[in-house]
Amino acid sequence: MRAPLELDGLSGFFGGQRVLGPLSLTIAPGEKIALVGKSGAGKSTLVRLIHDRVGDMAALVPQELGLVNALPVFHNVFMARLDQHNTLYNLVTLLRPFRADRDAITGILEQLDMADKLWSSAARLSGGQRQRTAIARALFREADLLLADEPVSALDGPLAHAVMGLLRERFDTFVVALHDVELALTYSTRVVGIQGGEIALDAASDSLTAADIRPLYD
Amino acid sequence: MRGWASLPLSRSRTARTSIFFVVLALVCLAFSDIAVTTANPWQDLMRFFWGIVTPDFFSSAGLATAVLRTLAFAFVGVTIGSIAGFLLALVYRFRIVRTFSAFIRAIHEIFWALIFLQFFGFHPLTGVLAIAIPYSGIFAKVYSEILDEVDPEPRNLLHSRVGALSAFAYARIPDCWEQLRTYTSYRLECGFRSSAILGFVGLPTLGFYLESAFSQGHYSEAGAVLLLFYALIATIPLWVRPRMLPFYVLAAPFFLGDGMPIVWGNVKRFFTEDIVPAPLREGATGESFWPWLSELLVDQALPGIWNTLLLTQMALVATGVLALLAFPLISRHFGNRLSRTGGHVLLVVARSTPEYILAYILLQLWGPSMLPAVVALALHNGGIIGHLIGRQSSFITLRPDAPRGITRYGYELVPRVYPSFLAFLFYRWEIIMRETAILGILGIYTLGFYVDSAIQNIQFDKAMILILVTALLNIGIDILSRRIRKRLALQTMPTC
Amino acid sequence: MLKKFIGLATLAAAMQSYALSAAADTFVFTAIPDQDETQLVERFGAVEAYLEEQLDVDVRYVPVKSYAAAVSAFRNNQVQLAWFGGLSGVQARRLVPGSEAIAQGAEDPEFQSYVIANTSTGLEPMDELSDDLRDMTFTFGSKGSTSGRLMPEFYLREAYGEAPDEVFSRVGFSGNHTRTVRLVEAGTYQLGAVNFKVWESGVEDGSIDTDKVQVIWETPYYPDYQWTIRGDVNERFGEGFKEKVTQALLNMDDPDLLERFPRSGFIPASNEDYTPIEETAESLGLLN
Repeated sequence: MRAPLELDGLSGFFGGQRVLGPLSLTIAPGEKIALVGKSGAGKSTLVRLIHDRVGDMAALVPQELGLVNALPVFHNVFMARLDQHNTLYNLVTLLRPFRADRDAITGILEQLDMADKLWSSAARLSGGQRQRTAIARALFREADLLLADEPVSALDGPLAHAVMGLLRERFDTFVVALHDVELALTYSTRVVGIQGGEIALDAASDSLTAADIRPLYD
Repeated sequence: MRGWASLPLSRSRTARTSIFFVVLALVCLAFSDIAVTTANPWQDLMRFFWGIVTPDFFSSAGLATAVLRTLAFAFVGVTIGSIAGFLLALVYRFRIVRTFSAFIRAIHEIFWALIFLQFFGFHPLTGVLAIAIPYSGIFAKVYSEILDEVDPEPRNLLHSRVGALSAFAYARIPDCWEQLRTYTSYRLECGFRSSAILGFVGLPTLGFYLESAFSQGHYSEAGAVLLLFYALIATIPLWVRPRMLPFYVLAAPFFLGDGMPIVWGNVKRFFTEDIVPAPLREGATGESFWPWLSELLVDQALPGIWNTLLLTQMALVATGVLALLAFPLISRHFGNRLSRTGGHVLLVVARSTPEYILAYILLQLWGPSMLPAVVALALHNGGIIGHLIGRQSSFITLRPDAPRGITRYGYELVPRVYPSFLAFLFYRWEIIMRETAILGILGIYTLGFYVDSAIQNIQFDKAMILILVTALLNIGIDILSRRIRKRLALQTMPTC
Repeated sequence: MLKKFIGLATLAAAMQSYALSAAADTFVFTAIPDQDETQLVERFGAVEAYLEEQLDVDVRYVPVKSYAAAVSAFRNNQVQLAWFGGLSGVQARRLVPGSEAIAQGAEDPEFQSYVIANTSTGLEPMDELSDDLRDMTFTFGSKGSTSGRLMPEFYLREAYGEAPDEVFSRVGFSGNHTRTVRLVEAGTYQLGAVNFKVWESGVEDGSIDTDKVQVIWETPYYPDYQWTIRGDVNERFGEGFKEKVTQALLNMDDPDLLERFPRSGFIPASNEDYTPIEETAESLGLLN
């Protein structure tokens, strides 16, 4: 991602009612944006709207994760790169994966501390493992931009920090919705606060303290 | 009237619909022909049961071959049907595909067989296509319903350049694979039944021997055929294993037998001459077409439709009553282990016996009227629904101090299973009508009787129009049933 | 492993039989299923052997489940020769131009149907069909049968001036003559129409209980069964083949074989012999 992304007129509707916006957001290359706000404020809607605009450019981790339950972790992760191979390659992989892909995906899973789950089907994973599978899929995608909606909500403290650290390191730019204020301040460069469907706060992370964000939750 | 209106039952849509159907069935009963006409129905019935307990497996050398043919036709027919149905399911969103599928499944296997017999004759293709064609219509509908249920999110997350096939194989199929598999194997069981009854129109399957043995009063032979058939169905879990399946499918075509050679000129003749209405054929002036058509519709189609509807409505309600009475037999809230095992055996027998065979047997025993048909349809379909509801009721947990016996039945269980019971019943409405029409071939004056008569008179033009009428009637019931299920907010997965 | 082996062995065996039975140019014949299948298989199995010996080609008898199936198989050239009833023969010859009736049973030019009644009806043999029969239950044989349906229906209409389903309270089609007798004997139907030959041979061999069922009326004579052959058999099986088949049928004199039909012998037949049947069928709307 070289040029800044200028997103105008973002609005979300639910049941014919406007629940978000219209609002504008500019994302500069290298920016790590944390979206904060109460549940129901419109964070998830905003993540979706951005994804609809940027399409293939971004790797997305939605709140529902979008895993294929019947497939093992390997294939769920591999799905991020289906576009890079021909159909035959993909179909063969479904039956018998190639070593190169297996090694690459094992590498990613090791960083997420779940290499041992490579062949477990997604249906049999715990909530935290499912979340990390979706994150692994986003990492395997190797996109410039990450869009994620509460990607570490089911992970315990140290693991949540480790994963957020990994995301910060591996993605040049990201927009991540987080309800945890401390995580938001630690891993972002910019905080965007949403309240009542509007942007109520937009500031550099190092200029903020937890107390500045708290009013958004009242 | 005020007293009625304030009754809670009359306020519920579900109850009103149920009462309406029961009353309708009673009205039908008043118009219908219900009687036992044999002098000694019980004596014949006893002879039949005696035949079942003294089966003679060695009377006919062809029996083993018939088993093989029954399986082969089913495997090949269901395989082709599932592949074609799957392809249709992929484009099911187009109205033309939906209409086409509804049309081919509205025509019963036996009608298809009767059609193909006219130009392929006794060739394996007749049996295979008779199963494959209606089954592909059914598969198309059910597969598309299953595919539509799959979570769309994984598909949305894929890169937009991912090819359709890859996307389908990764994001769509895996999560519904189990359902597709279960439904297909269930359909295979239906395929064995369909294949067996094709024998009644002359194909070399089990029905052929059953009909011969029965019509000659050789009850021990008939008993043997029936027992073989039950054994085949009951042991399916033992011999139809996923690992063996490819082997069966590949081997089946070699066991279809040879029959008689196909003469392709006959195929052309059938479509360009035989089914063209007589007044429109070459050499005819065409002006007699409308009188010809209206005579056919008034003299045959209308009485056929009338009797088909009468029988269908009575059978539908009888099925419902039987299912409600039967489900406690296998529900864990009633009886003990022994009684439940007995209940299972009873329901397995009821639902494994095709309606056509049941109706045929009862017609032989009780003589011709609508009674044997109603009982046959109710036994088979009631067995299926009773089984499904009974199984479902076993998952219900009752409070420890729940009442017992009839109170438990009426207050605790029936209200809870009633919506799914109705869903299954309305789902089977269309299926009951398909069968009702077919039972005409056995001599009850439903549409099948007139179709069979036209074929016996070598008047395929009339037969085709009557089959068309049957199909339209079926599609109508299908639409009506879907409306009612929607109105009552009933949802269910399809059954056979 | 063992299972697989057995499976493969069966498969191999099946493929072999598949290849063998597809042999070319077998002369195939069929017959209308007017009686119980066992009787048909016995009768025509013997005819199959006899013709094979006489004609020097492979001969095969194919059983069918309905009269219409016999006509269709003949029309579709899946069989080249058939033992038809009067009506089915007319249907077949209309559909296959060039086909010919070549032989009939000695009794067939003067065939009859009997109306039979369960003795519980109290009906006695009669010369004219009486109104006592009204509102009883009645069964024909097959829908496409001459002696079991066409001619009885014709004479019933003539006698009562109404269609059978208006005369009787219930009208059924039993499927074949043996079954008609059995149903009337059991009282499932009070009355029935049956081929006189089937009746007489049943009475003779004791399979009919005359205490329970008896003949109450006989139709006038009409022509019935015949052997019909396709017109194109000479092109397929060689010059003079049709003549050879005709002679073989006419020369059939083995009493045991004839007994199974049952006919005293076979005599020449022609298409014109069946004009009365054709006219009757047309008048009843059974032929276009």
